[in-house]
Amino acid sequence: MGQLLAVQDLAKRYGATVALGGVTMGIRAGEVHAILGENGAGKSTLVKILSGVVQPNDGTMLLDGAPHTPASIFAARGAGVSTAFQELSLIPHLSVAENLLLPKVSRGRFWPERRASIMQRAAAILAEWEITDIAPDAMIEDLPLAQRQRIEITRALSHATRLLVLDEPTAALPDTSWLFRQIRRLTERGVAVMYISHRLSEVREICQRATILRNGASIETVDLAGVDDAGIFAMMVGHAPAAPRSETETATGDILLETRDLHVGAIKGLNLTLRAGEIVGVAALEGQGQQDLFQALGGVRKRASGDIIVGGRSAPLGTPGKAQRTAPGIAFVPEERKADGIFDNLTAATNIVMADFASRSTGAFVNARLERNRAAKSAERVALSPRYLGFEVGNLSGGNQQKVLLARALMTGAKILILFDPARGVDVGTKQSIYAMMDDFVANGGTILFYSSELTELVQLSTRCVVLYNGQVSAEVSRADMTEERLLAAAHGPARTPPTPLREAS
Amino acid sequence: MTDATHPSVAETRAARRVTLRHIADSAFLIIVIYLVMAVVYVAVQPSALSAYSIESLFNNSLPLMLAAAGATFVILQGGFDLSVAGTISLVNVVIATTPMEGPGGALALLALAVALGMAVGAINGIIVAYLRIQAIAATLATMIICQGIALLILKAPGGMVSDFMVYELTASLTDRVPYALVIAALGVVFWTIYSRTDAGRNLLAVGQDRKAAALSGINVQRTEFFSFVWAGAFYALAAYMLAAQTSTGNPSAGEPFLLLTFAAVALGGTAFGGGRGGVTASLFGAATLMLMQKVLFAMGVSSFYTGVIQGMIMITAVLFSAAVHHAASNRRGA
Repeated sequence: MGQLLAVQDLAKRYGATVALGGVTMGIRAGEVHAILGENGAGKSTLVKILSGVVQPNDGTMLLDGAPHTPASIFAARGAGVSTAFQELSLIPHLSVAENLLLPKVSRGRFWPERRASIMQRAAAILAEWEITDIAPDAMIEDLPLAQRQRIEITRALSHATRLLVLDEPTAALPDTSWLFRQIRRLTERGVAVMYISHRLSEVREICQRATILRNGASIETVDLAGVDDAGIFAMMVGHAPAAPRSETETATGDILLETRDLHVGAIKGLNLTLRAGEIVGVAALEGQGQQDLFQALGGVRKRASGDIIVGGRSAPLGTPGKAQRTAPGIAFVPEERKADGIFDNLTAATNIVMADFASRSTGAFVNARLERNRAAKSAERVALSPRYLGFEVGNLSGGNQQKVLLARALMTGAKILILFDPARGVDVGTKQSIYAMMDDFVANGGTILFYSSELTELVQLSTRCVVLYNGQVSAEVSRADMTEERLLAAAHGPARTPPTPLREAS
Repeated sequence: MTDATHPSVAETRAARRVTLRHIADSAFLIIVIYLVMAVVYVAVQPSALSAYSIESLFNNSLPLMLAAAGATFVILQGGFDLSVAGTISLVNVVIATTPMEGPGGALALLALAVALGMAVGAINGIIVAYLRIQAIAATLATMIICQGIALLILKAPGGMVSDFMVYELTASLTDRVPYALVIAALGVVFWTIYSRTDAGRNLLAVGQDRKAAALSGINVQRTEFFSFVWAGAFYALAAYMLAAQTSTGNPSAGEPFLLLTFAAVALGGTAFGGGRGGVTASLFGAATLMLMQKVLFAMGVSSFYTGVIQGMIMITAVLFSAAVHHAASNRRGA
């Protein structure tokens, strides 16, 4: 097979920051090619250049032998290159159909196309890519994250005539079967796919070759069949990965948080106890009420009825601020960092100390050096390199943004951490730092409730695991008999055997 | 998904949400408020239904309605445009100092006015969209410049507006329907079509999320640029109708429009952050604002209080529309 995309010495600088410093690689027609690398290795920049969002400073790209220099997303699409972005690029208050067809929704030249006809065309696109559970006239803002991600992917699929770029396409997808089926259909037509994911098992399943990036440069392109995971990690980080984390035993500490017959959103009568020294995992398929539970405990959402008892006293937790101040303190790290947590154009240091200053000072001036020092201490606990503290958060990679959010949560001095998918879409290195921080946190008398869309993560981290189904606890699994199969089965409801694959088979 | 056991409940809830959202997104609320205000007006001022009274009400309201319609284009994409006052003053004095008689002359003047308004809008658009200068600073500057040029053209109120514009354009179609109302209705029709075109949809998309819009392939800069051009065109129309209504030119004619325009847009329910609302809502918002003045006057409220009462009614209306929005988008339960 011939080379479809040839990239030579591609470089991109932002001022003094080198985002990409010499990437050379090639993708063959009909191939699924993985890009592997740690946070900040330059994957996102490469994606942006290929899809026309930013222009490179140096280097060349050839697509089918012709220079590929897209000046915009639209131009890249015209050349047959389309992208599904990690931070989804959908307009919340428009319909699925309009989002699929943007920016040219209406086909009429002199008169706007009828809504019914637009919906019909969108329905055809959805049907073509085997999406049966999302209506074309549904509003994007009403859809759960997983469905939005599939719409983002579908839009890219529908435009990909030469190269499809998928940036963390499964970050919110609990199951890959739909995506992999569509990828295979596409590659059969000779379309190439650039696949960026932190999930190595996925990469091995769908990709043939991989290019490893480190510090903005391409290290090597390998046949995945010929290299083991350890070898890949070594290329990614430049040294051997950290040893797997140690086992934690069952905790018998004080009860820090308790819910009694809690009703909130889709949660119906939940009883939950969090003790000092334990990490309680929450496993659930999408839409079982986990968001509601976490938001209620974080003080973002008001409970309908029932009791939340913090530190032995019933606590109303009206706002995140109140939740923080209710001794021994609750810190909540939400699901969508882009929307819910981060101030893009403030520095990492300011973002980290923000919650602390917000809760303690009233109208006092902020001492910049004090801010840096305090932020640095917290950053150290999540292994955030101090050189990032002065950066605007918007310029950091997703993994480092997540570290900033976690550092901020630690900064509050809270003893109860409520983490919603803390390691979603971050690389192995960051994952290990986050896991180490979590272990360290509970070892010092804290407690953690965390939800994860990855079963392996739950099995690896949880002292015990609570499985939600239909707003209720369908099972509680102790450390001793925790396996992915057991969690998966419980997540499908109390009395149903045998377990079916995680997602619908649409 | 989770509601599999109670599909009917879920469906009803979804259906209710859809209707609420339609209400929140359309100009429905402000139209209702306008109609209520109209009923009150007729009740306190029975002569309000006379042909003369209706005609003068619409003639008085139309310039503000058009100005608010123009500002809406910019606000919908998340921008801000202060140049409304300067543009109206400038176009107003240009019309008053360019005497052209008859319907032909009126048409030529209309073309001149709109071209001038669009030119000012294009300058705003270039500065804001392409040179990336903050919209408030840029449009404040163009406002001051336009006002200065207006004073250079006409030192004091005066000038001449053709009889055709003064008498015919402010009259009524077959002595029943004021032309001002016809023009306002054309504005509604225009927006109804425009908002369904790609350009209209992109305007709302950019206002909701610039970054996502850009990643969706929308040319954000072009969208911003044209929002200012459309705004300029509508400001010019406002100035044109103002000249016809006042039969004179005034180099500071635009000044009262500055704050009232934004008040009218807010009353109509268009979000100042961008992304939600529409021109129709702003047309009704402006009409409601003008009608409110009439009602308060008819009720004999001292003019010292009208400002206070107007402000309170505005806050109530905006709160009410916010409440409906909240109910419509309260989606986290699903």
